[in-house]
Amino acid sequence: MIQVNDQPIEWKPDMTIADLLKQMSDVRFCSVVRVNGKLISSPRFDVTRIPDNAVIYLLPLVAGG
Amino acid sequence: MGPVQLNEIKAVPYERSEVVKGYTDRSLHIDLTGNDIRVDPIDAAVKDRFTGGKGYDLWFMWQAVKGTTKWNDPENALCISAGPLGGTPGYPGGGKSIVTTISPLTGAPIDSNVGGYFGPYKKFSGFDVITLTGKADQDVVILIDGIESQIKIFSASDLPDNAYELSDALTRYFDEKKPVNISVVTAGPGAENTYFGCLNFSWYDAGRKRVRYKQAGRGGTGTVLADKKVKAVVARFGAVSMKSNQPADLEALKTVTKTHAKEINELDGKQNRMSLVGTTHLVPIMNDHDCLPTHNFKFGSHPEAAVIGEDVYEHIFDKGFDGCWRGCAVACSHGVKDFSPFTGPFKGTRVFVDGPEYETVAGCGSNLGIFDAHTILEINFYCDAYGLDTISVGTSIGFVMECFENGLITTEHTGGLALFFGNRFGALELIHQMAKGEGFGAIVGKGIRQMKQIFADKFNADPDFMQDIGMESKGLEFSEYITKESLAQQGGYGLALKGPQHDEAWLIFLDMVHNFMPTFENKAEALHWFPMFRTWFSLCGLCKLPWNDIVPEDNKDTKEPAKVMKHVQWYADFFSAITGKKTTPDDLIAMSETVYNFQRVFNLKMGTGTREHDTLPYRAMGPVTVEEYESRQDRYDKQLTDTYGMDISGMDTAARVAALRKERESQYEQLKDAVYDRRGWTKNGIPTKETVQRLGIDFPEVLEVLAANGVQ
Repeated sequence: MIQVNDQPIEWKPDMTIADLLKQMSDVRFCSVVRVNGKLISSPRFDVTRIPDNAVIYLLPLVAGG
Repeated sequence: MGPVQLNEIKAVPYERSEVVKGYTDRSLHIDLTGNDIRVDPIDAAVKDRFTGGKGYDLWFMWQAVKGTTKWNDPENALCISAGPLGGTPGYPGGGKSIVTTISPLTGAPIDSNVGGYFGPYKKFSGFDVITLTGKADQDVVILIDGIESQIKIFSASDLPDNAYELSDALTRYFDEKKPVNISVVTAGPGAENTYFGCLNFSWYDAGRKRVRYKQAGRGGTGTVLADKKVKAVVARFGAVSMKSNQPADLEALKTVTKTHAKEINELDGKQNRMSLVGTTHLVPIMNDHDCLPTHNFKFGSHPEAAVIGEDVYEHIFDKGFDGCWRGCAVACSHGVKDFSPFTGPFKGTRVFVDGPEYETVAGCGSNLGIFDAHTILEINFYCDAYGLDTISVGTSIGFVMECFENGLITTEHTGGLALFFGNRFGALELIHQMAKGEGFGAIVGKGIRQMKQIFADKFNADPDFMQDIGMESKGLEFSEYITKESLAQQGGYGLALKGPQHDEAWLIFLDMVHNFMPTFENKAEALHWFPMFRTWFSLCGLCKLPWNDIVPEDNKDTKEPAKVMKHVQWYADFFSAITGKKTTPDDLIAMSETVYNFQRVFNLKMGTGTREHDTLPYRAMGPVTVEEYESRQDRYDKQLTDTYGMDISGMDTAARVAALRKERESQYEQLKDAVYDRRGWTKNGIPTKETVQRLGIDFPEVLEVLAANGVQ
């Protein structure tokens, strides 16, 4: 099980961030997530595997300086 | 350092005007040539049209300067205001000051939005705006004492040169028992000897028992203060509460303040964590999206960028509350204690460094090929202490380094400095030289636009290549984002009134990553709404970070998530609560549109403000060199074939660079047309007569400026 924005979601082996986002709605503006506190940007969503028990927050918007 | 010695040369008592619904309705004018001090009422019509903050600054500057006024003419005015909402404790980002003047770099109005307590203290002392004109005949310090209700001018000698020590010394001099009552505005020796001197705005950090400061960085505001021989402007005021602005509806103000602060406290830790890392979270994000300036904006990422981002600075920053205004929940003004510089006058001592923020990390780190968190800290420290804008410093040195690596300049020109990318000592040595106005640093301190001319005239460097790689527009150095793949952000920089600074429009992700604005019309609409709303923060004395750097959890479910309309409504409620004027989000945009168009006409008055001035160096649009093209060849080849339908099989890289350039430059011109049309401007980028009439700024002087530029 993983926590995504404080909600439990079933974890699957080899699950990537891209896989996670595909099963969520309204993620159009999500280009960065935090996985266990570490920033992961959209170019790496396809290749970043999510560990079990991960705590994930979707950063909804990157607004610049 | 001995005790501060100041000699009073003028003291004027005044009757402190109460703040009512966010306004004092008084302006303070100090003419330093004759030490004249004047307090004037502010007309209701001026308040109605210009709102406050930057609007007031520009209005009073307009009165002070002629179209022929240069930055160092005595009549140039340096204006500082707070805005009607500024000085609200507890409202996130609720205590900003706004500075304007005619810029040494651009020759047109520059504006800078800065933290620290000066703006609110000045307002609560009785003045919505202050203007400084003239030039003193000796170094002076100005005191606005809202506790004693006196304005004083002191002659000053033997004060510390650097802002770091000067801010501290004057804070303790003017209120040793309650240093929290003091805020000091200072420049520094770098401001005296360069065109991009900044202003340091201080506050007393009661937790750490030390003076802290933030910078009004852009465009040489510090250079103007130093030219007027003002060593410091000091505001003194006592207790501040939510009642200090005498809001029209105190309960409504408390409600919206608590609501916004509560949301930030709940969500910042889940989102950008700015209360822990400031804006350094942007370093890895920009790097991953190929937007982090590297080697003079040549590239957008670098493998070593991970060592200058939030992962490192989170552990270096001193723990504690870091709000640059009282009770701010964002609290992003982090610093580093017990830092020991390894060069310069503070070498081997222990200092406190206020920063770095993202812009400094990118400009003075990756853009110079310096991937060393501690060298960036040292550059940050000396830029602040000397009164130098870290953005212009980083972007200018990046230009110098690329010129050096391409043989346009050599060690013969640089005084022996081998200024290759990554040369940390070379970068620091240049900064020390800038502060003293000596050596090659004296040339670098004039900014990129003048360097291009000097390098071409004196060093026989290629002017066309320098035009392509010199990251300035309107004379102002770029802030720190790569815009090659975002046409909207090219407009965000190129069409910004003061020059390429991101505080007017930051659209890279909406455009490049989210493809939120695929058409020219979409981009033009964004380049209308976003600059207008961002302008509003500087009308009111606020920080923009709480608007869209912490986003409500249900934002994605709203009709216009990019605008974060829930927060926009809160700002309308905030404005209503303070001023008593029932205000809608559309009203906020209307306030800004008036001031924005007035500033464009002001540019026109100063000889800029037309289409030709909205140009960009090609590096902001695409790859200048074969090396750049080949570093992202798949991307560029795909665009030539898929987007533009070209057969590139017989083209070498140089031909592809040229083909892409033709298309991208054409796109930028089409964008200008679309934006001008949306803003109600002519094809030449000038507000039409109908536009200024609609906005109520059709004063005779405005119409004269328009007529002189062919707009009847």
